[in-house]
Amino acid sequence: MRIKTTREKRIFYFKTALRWTLYYVIILMSFVIMTTGSWKKPVLLVPVALCIAINNDIMASAYTGAFCGFLIDIACGRLIGYNAVILTIFSAAMTLIFELYLRRKFINYIVLTAIMTFLQCFLDFQFFYKLWDYENVNNIFRNVTLKVWIYTMISSVILYVIFRIINNLLMPKEHLTIEEVIRNN
Amino acid sequence: MREFLKSIRFKILLAFIAFLMGIMIYAVTRGGYSLSSVSFINTITKPFRFITNAVSMKIENTADSVNNSISYYEENKLLKQKIGELNKQLTEYEDLKEEVKELRKLVVIKEEHPDNVFSQSAEVLGYVANDPFKGFTIDRGYADGIKPYCPVITPEGLVGITIEVSQFTSTVRTILSPDLSVATVCSATNSDFGIVEGTVITAENNMTKLTHLTMNHEVKKGDLIVTSGSSGLFPKDYAVGTVTEIGVEANGLSAYAEIKPSVDISRLSSVFVIINFDKKKDINTKREEEKKAAMEAINEDKDNP
Repeated sequence: MRIKTTREKRIFYFKTALRWTLYYVIILMSFVIMTTGSWKKPVLLVPVALCIAINNDIMASAYTGAFCGFLIDIACGRLIGYNAVILTIFSAAMTLIFELYLRRKFINYIVLTAIMTFLQCFLDFQFFYKLWDYENVNNIFRNVTLKVWIYTMISSVILYVIFRIINNLLMPKEHLTIEEVIRNN
Repeated sequence: MREFLKSIRFKILLAFIAFLMGIMIYAVTRGGYSLSSVSFINTITKPFRFITNAVSMKIENTADSVNNSISYYEENKLLKQKIGELNKQLTEYEDLKEEVKELRKLVVIKEEHPDNVFSQSAEVLGYVANDPFKGFTIDRGYADGIKPYCPVITPEGLVGITIEVSQFTSTVRTILSPDLSVATVCSATNSDFGIVEGTVITAENNMTKLTHLTMNHEVKKGDLIVTSGSSGLFPKDYAVGTVTEIGVEANGLSAYAEIKPSVDISRLSSVFVIINFDKKKDINTKREEEKKAAMEAINEDKDNP
């Protein structure tokens, strides 16, 4: 983005600050939802981290992924850092895939989110239940892991819409000069 | 005037007054009941009176509120303040009531187990997200004297054990989990020992399982299972649950029983943590002695290679 004047610069900073504030408000709200009640809930922070990763640079996505991961670890009582590592990798991968290979379309987002969310749920099942060889452990996969994955996928659609609105309103748009457009073409 | 007094009009007037007085006297003799004509009139005029009264009241109130608006405003302010204070007092009262209730429960447990040292009542902050074994977090940590592997109870019975303790919060593993084994005994027979350990299947129905029962056990449905205190991890005589089902293990060497926990683990609001108890002290001392002995042995080995 080409910033010309001081006013434009101020608007850019303000919008960016507001956007990230909203991102973190959503993250904290998702954490609160995840820690409320004893029923099965979607792992909201995974699609949140992935939604943020679509439209931001790799480092910001990775840091946010790590933060979301830590919150999942706290909410799910997992080894602190376990989900942080997974989500850092997923977020960075998401950013790279969208930068290099895919267009920012809903269908691309939903397919990648489905894969990554499933991986997160599957790894959680493998490391925290399957590995310990509990009796009838596959019941947990059927009754908990799969249900949580489905709930997460449903919630990821809603989250995509929310993030789309925020990005449409607050994401700085590219302003190219005529020379740059000619050069690019 | 004289003409008027002599006139028929005057006589009619007198007669009418006499009639009215007659009605008056009759009304007095009715003993509080109105005359039928009055009732009739009242009935007929009631809706109109209602409307006119409402209108007049409205006008009166409006006029009154305009006239005394400042004093009403002040009064309203004072009343609001008073309501606020009373609401605050009510909240404090409710809190105190809850606290007294909790303390009463604690007194009962303390009387039953005088050797146990309890924490203050701990509120359940929330359940661990998507944990099939209903682990939860409480609002007390090592700042309140809680350590890892402290038993967690309610007045109804055993809930679980603390597994991760931070300064102001602790995570509790429940008796529904397969990772927690509790040495227990059947209170009815006092001789049938076993291990209470959760399984994936039983945890789905908020139940747990008593394993390693001998084949000639005398445990029956409805028997209460209590902690035996033999492991040193849990104090003696805390209710774990009641037997709902008895069977033989697949290997045919021992029996098992399904246990309905005494505490409804999926709906906990507050719990107590047992910070210390007699047997635990012994175990700690024993462990320290063992450590010391091991260190001495190592040192001796170093001295005499």
